[in-house]
Amino acid sequence: MIELSHVSKRFGEETAVDDISLRVPKGKFCALVGTSGCGKSTTLRMINRLIEHSEGDIILDGQAIEVYDPVKLRRRIGYVIQHTGLFPHWNVARNIGLVPRLLKWSAADVQGRVEELMDLLGLPVGEFAHKYPHQLSGGQAQRVGVARALAADPDILLMDEPFGALDPITREKLQDELAKIQARLHKTVVFVTHDMDEALKLADHLVVMREGRIVQQGSPLALLQQPADSFVESLLGGLERGLKQAALTRVKDHMTSMGPTLPAQSRIPADFSLRQALSMMLRDHSDRLTVVDQHDVPIGELSLRRIIKEAQLDKGSARE
Amino acid sequence: MSNSLSIAQPRKRALLWLWPLMWGTLLLLSVVAMSAAEPLFRWIEPDARQVIYDRADFYVLLGRHLLVVGIAALVTVVVGVSAGIVVTRERGSDFLPLVGQLASLGQTFPPVAVLALAVPVLGFGTLPIIVALMLYGMLPIVRNTLAGLQEVDIDIKTAAHAMGMTPTQTLRYVELPLAAPVILAGIRTSVTINIATAALGATVGASNLGDPIISGIVNGNMAYVVQGALTIALLALTVDSLFEVLQQPLRSRLSAA
Repeated sequence: MIELSHVSKRFGEETAVDDISLRVPKGKFCALVGTSGCGKSTTLRMINRLIEHSEGDIILDGQAIEVYDPVKLRRRIGYVIQHTGLFPHWNVARNIGLVPRLLKWSAADVQGRVEELMDLLGLPVGEFAHKYPHQLSGGQAQRVGVARALAADPDILLMDEPFGALDPITREKLQDELAKIQARLHKTVVFVTHDMDEALKLADHLVVMREGRIVQQGSPLALLQQPADSFVESLLGGLERGLKQAALTRVKDHMTSMGPTLPAQSRIPADFSLRQALSMMLRDHSDRLTVVDQHDVPIGELSLRRIIKEAQLDKGSARE
Repeated sequence: MSNSLSIAQPRKRALLWLWPLMWGTLLLLSVVAMSAAEPLFRWIEPDARQVIYDRADFYVLLGRHLLVVGIAALVTVVVGVSAGIVVTRERGSDFLPLVGQLASLGQTFPPVAVLALAVPVLGFGTLPIIVALMLYGMLPIVRNTLAGLQEVDIDIKTAAHAMGMTPTQTLRYVELPLAAPVILAGIRTSVTINIATAALGATVGASNLGDPIISGIVNGNMAYVVQGALTIALLALTVDSLFEVLQQPLRSRLSAA
């Protein structure tokens, strides 16, 4: 668990981070979102003491971070940065094995762990272990970056715009994989990004920062339903907000079990998002869809009228 | 693709050794068999009583020349690289401009002037020339050490730091290996320049390959001058091509990085 209370960071006269408090429970994914220069990266770097905070308390697993030796602290916190920071003179396997070697694991243990991680991140050992960073594509290099961060099996993972330099297709693929890995490993993640869609997709807890302060924090759905001000609303995409909210909602939460009505023409799996359902309705000129389970067996019905009605209810409940 | 690379690599490496071997053989020939070229030198100086410099054996002169350049290079590398490392650390950063200026000053000061100033203090012989070479050869090493270390990508240094490497580990495993090609290039420039500059030592009694040149100038014997200059040039080419062999694998490993 990571806990920041009333933390500030000043560089000379300038206040980069101003009195922020936030809590990331164990196993949760927290995204810090904001425009450049809002203090989100500084906040991240204070957690592994790359930057020392000026005021307030940062508590890690019940202890103030000043208590830990900074070098030892960093070895138990995974860290991923935008341009990977891979060592160009080391091959992939050696890069991934860095922290285990610093922790003096045996050579066999390091090798086993490296192979396990390359497997987890979809990098075939035979093909990639001996490649050098300049021989990798951007997406492959960042997979290595993530593997390196996970190498010593840290509880905490800090990620500073890890997918910011990738093309949209690769970025989306890596986001999906990160979500899968997180569902399996349950790390405590702090993820910095300026891409709100990325944050909405991955985070359990969303923190919007501006000029060193936290403007709003909460679950993605809560923020979408009720942005604190016009800044948060514009970050959330203004008019697109409705669709973004729909993207976070599953079809199965809005369907009605099959009634006596005629089955609709179009079918949609229950674990698809409401956004995909709306898109399908527009495409097929239909205000009703048949919901099916993973075996393509109809289990319910989704109607446009019901989606809209329930969206209003959500809004009402969020206001209370 | 990897297959063709693995075949091409050793062939390229063997080819790399071709130049030092060639220059080295010529150098060896010139120090042991200079007299074989007597007709050529006779043609340069038809009237001289003697055309082959024989006041000392060429291999002895070569040995002394190498010794002077070697000692100067060793001291310069140790001092220059250490200074470059110290001032690029956080604690030493205050001295960064000073060290840069001192090194530049060393090269602005002509070696002849250093010799003139050093002789009264250190006496005649090899010591003044070693001092002069050290001052003259310091700049390329300091400058390249600074450039090499400062060019290491900030993201790479941040990553090293963030992964829990100590500053010493970062220096040893990341910064120095990445700066090595640039530092080595500086050492190469320094040593190559100093092989030529060391000839000046002959003017203050440090016997080396400069002797035939000075003696030739004093006695008006161009054949001596050519013999000294030729041997020094071959030595410089041999050493320079050896550096090329050293640098090549470092460069290719980091290419496109």
